[in-house]
Amino acid sequence: MIKFLLKGILRDKSRSFLPIIIVTIGVSLTVMLSGYIRGAMGDITDQNARFETGHVKVVTQAYHENMDQLPIDLALLGVDSLQQVLTEKYPDVQWVKRTRFGGLIDVPDKNGETKGQGPAAGMSLQLLDDKSGEVDRLNISTSLVKGNLPAKRGETLIGDDFANNLKIEVGDEVTYVGSTMNGSMTFKNFVVSGTIRFGVAAMDRGTIILDIADVQEMLDLQDGTSEMLGYLNDGVYQDEKALELKADFNKDLNTDDEFAPMMLTLKEQNNLASYLDYVDLYSAFFVGLFVMAMSLVLWNTGLLGGLRRYQEFGIRLALGEAKNQIYKTLIFEAILIGSIGSFIGTAIGLGITFYMQYTGIDISEMLNNSTMLMPTILRSKFTPDLLYIGFIPGLFAMVIGNALSGIGIYKRETAVLFKELEV
Amino acid sequence: MKTDIIISIENVTKKFKDGDGEFTALSNINLEFSKGEFAGFVGPSGSGKTTLLNIIGSLDSPTEGNALVMGKNIAGLSHKESALLRNKHIGFIFQVYNLLPVYTVFENVEFALLLQNYSASERKKRVMEALEWVGLQNMPDKKPSKLSGGEGQRVAIARAMVKRPEILIADEPTANLDAKNAHIILQMMKKLNEELDTTFLFSTHDEKVMEYLDRIVHLEDGKVVRDEVKNKVAAS
Repeated sequence: MIKFLLKGILRDKSRSFLPIIIVTIGVSLTVMLSGYIRGAMGDITDQNARFETGHVKVVTQAYHENMDQLPIDLALLGVDSLQQVLTEKYPDVQWVKRTRFGGLIDVPDKNGETKGQGPAAGMSLQLLDDKSGEVDRLNISTSLVKGNLPAKRGETLIGDDFANNLKIEVGDEVTYVGSTMNGSMTFKNFVVSGTIRFGVAAMDRGTIILDIADVQEMLDLQDGTSEMLGYLNDGVYQDEKALELKADFNKDLNTDDEFAPMMLTLKEQNNLASYLDYVDLYSAFFVGLFVMAMSLVLWNTGLLGGLRRYQEFGIRLALGEAKNQIYKTLIFEAILIGSIGSFIGTAIGLGITFYMQYTGIDISEMLNNSTMLMPTILRSKFTPDLLYIGFIPGLFAMVIGNALSGIGIYKRETAVLFKELEV
Repeated sequence: MKTDIIISIENVTKKFKDGDGEFTALSNINLEFSKGEFAGFVGPSGSGKTTLLNIIGSLDSPTEGNALVMGKNIAGLSHKESALLRNKHIGFIFQVYNLLPVYTVFENVEFALLLQNYSASERKKRVMEALEWVGLQNMPDKKPSKLSGGEGQRVAIARAMVKRPEILIADEPTANLDAKNAHIILQMMKKLNEELDTTFLFSTHDEKVMEYLDRIVHLEDGKVVRDEVKNKVAAS
């Protein structure tokens, strides 16, 4: 009997091909959009961690109070020993020095006269220290547009758009003009080793990237840095772990010393606490909403598919098939169609998710005037629940739709169901 | 007239809900049918013909009274028992042929046997025999969409007869056929009735059908007004 019914399903495209197509489309959309929502939400957190907040950050208390102004005069000092202490005390965290600063870039012509000038957003990091992992963390190698990474002190990377605006070529010398941590003016020449584009609007505007040692010298920040960022070794922000670290580090904090180092978690910076709560809540909400909407669509498909077959059920009843047998075969078919569609849909959805995760869609042109630290490449994120989330609308909703339509077989008097035979 | 009673209708009344009230489709019907009869219910629309056939075919049950079919009281049967009764003992032919369009002629006829535990070779033998009865042995692989109206109804007859039921219920079987095909179908059914001793019960308005019937039960407003056996009135 099952073989006979399978033959019917395969031959009748409206019972096999079309529902499988509908389920496949519905499931792939569910998986793809769920992955995208998680990717979009998680991407912003990840971007913030990598470029600005770290998973935890150590700064002076005074710096923390004025963090929006990036006050280098309130920077941490004695950071080499602090970094060593932190590394020994928290071995599952990688610690790096970062200093952000502002200034002016002056570009001279061949005669040494100013050819162009522009405001620079400087970032210094342990660029020449291979063990710091900073080059990989900030995707600097893959973000290079022209030239090479700085190989020695005195070299700099500069934002590609910034370089184009000021007509700077790789190998040109530029002059940084700014103020030191003590408030005096400073001038320093650098050779441009390459241009860079991160794909993050706020990072690509007037960017200049230098090694921390150059900046320490340039800004009179000997053995100092404005921030010490910590990254959990598995690369993923875990709020509980970050809170543990913070509680341990801050337990001996001398609140009277405004230059005493204190630890902040990612969530405590850039208003990310509410953002992360929002991410959790809304990604669950949107995924849930979409799964529910798609469930209704596929439930309806199952329902209509079942109702459309009352004529066939009438014939089968007339031939002496029992109602529960017909109901069972209806559910069997729904499981079969739902499973095939869900498997194919999940595979397609995951394929698109992986493509979006590793390649993404570049929307940088739309964000030219944006000041937010947000990605210019839309990315999805694979999470294990994507392996089964599509089965909720694809299989369960489909089966429930068929099951509900099949109840009519029992609820109707056989003779009334039989009337469905009359065309 | 044959004497083995296989259908016995005793004081059967059938009422349906009609808004807040009730509509009486059958009122105190008493009838008996013997094995091998070729009988029909005749009457205007709403006279209760189809309701009575539905009760005999165990598709519906009486509100009052007893309907005994093959010794089973229809009113007391569960869904499963009534399905089994239809499966083993009753065949149906409809006004529209209601063949399953995705299956071939052979498969449509075979479907009735799949519900019983016949081996594949036995099924094949029986299906081909049934197709031979209706003269379609040369087109087992045709799809219903390729058949003419007359051929479609012949497949429906083969499907109903392949399990050799004791009772065959035909609800307006010639309504969609032209005169020539109607006569062919009726002759075929009459022949099967005689050869296999199957009881045929029709519901019809069609005078062509009435010509072939050995017994005509006239219904009006849910009541038997005349029970005509060949040229004499049996009961009223």
